[in-house]
Amino acid sequence: MDYRNAFAISASGMTVEKTRLDTIAVNLANIHSTRGADGKAFQPLSVRVTEAQGSFAAGFTQLAGANQLRGARVVQIEPTGAAPRQMYEPGNPDADARGFVSLPGVNQVTEMVNLAGALRAYEANVVAMNAAKTMALKALELGGGQ
Amino acid sequence: MFGSTEAITVDMVSLALDAASMRHQAIAHNIANVNSPGFAPMRVNFEEQLGALRTALGDGTPVQHAMLAGVHPVLTRSPVADGLDRTAMLDMEVADMAQNTVQYEALLKALGKHMAILASAVNEGKR
Repeated sequence: MDYRNAFAISASGMTVEKTRLDTIAVNLANIHSTRGADGKAFQPLSVRVTEAQGSFAAGFTQLAGANQLRGARVVQIEPTGAAPRQMYEPGNPDADARGFVSLPGVNQVTEMVNLAGALRAYEANVVAMNAAKTMALKALELGGGQ
Repeated sequence: MFGSTEAITVDMVSLALDAASMRHQAIAHNIANVNSPGFAPMRVNFEEQLGALRTALGDGTPVQHAMLAGVHPVLTRSPVADGLDRTAMLDMEVADMAQNTVQYEALLKALGKHMAILASAVNEGKR
């Protein structure tokens, strides 16, 4: 069993889910940010994930076998473009002429649901990695006295 | 004592272990891509190729080594199922993985037992 490739596949999945968790944490941490690093309001972020392709495997799927499987990868972390929320707070230094402050359009419920999903997907990747480990260790026992 | 079946047993179990190993990687790949939009899951085609062997065993004729020619696990991509719930896909994959792990361990155990029988023959039945 080529357990290294199995580990690499599960690790790529864990990296992707960790990136999603980090992005959700950033969104939640900035839920009340009225000003971003560049002076403009913070934009909620989302992660674009796609299937990772082995560069060699293209056109050689029969030859490459299981080596063409590379798991997942993050394409880009991009702003969702959600409209900002307006809150009336005249005393705030970032308030506009009418006294409204623009808060990022972070939807707390959506973020929490995504958080739970990413957590479960991460756990599934850990389970897959542990299964690969069990199989590899069992294969090592072969021939060792019945 | 073993006739011509001993070599084919080891060869067949080796092929099945290769298939189980590849299937685990395919399932790990599917789980890693559970959040990739438009992803079509990978499957392994192996048991479908054993039809000739199965009919030979059913008829009671000895299994020929030539029946294993060209039999090897092949990765295939299943068509994209539209409207399928992603979490449903995740639990199906995890269930498949549990089954595949047990299958792999059963194959290893069978191979170990087969080798134990051979070892017993080599030792003239002595412990």
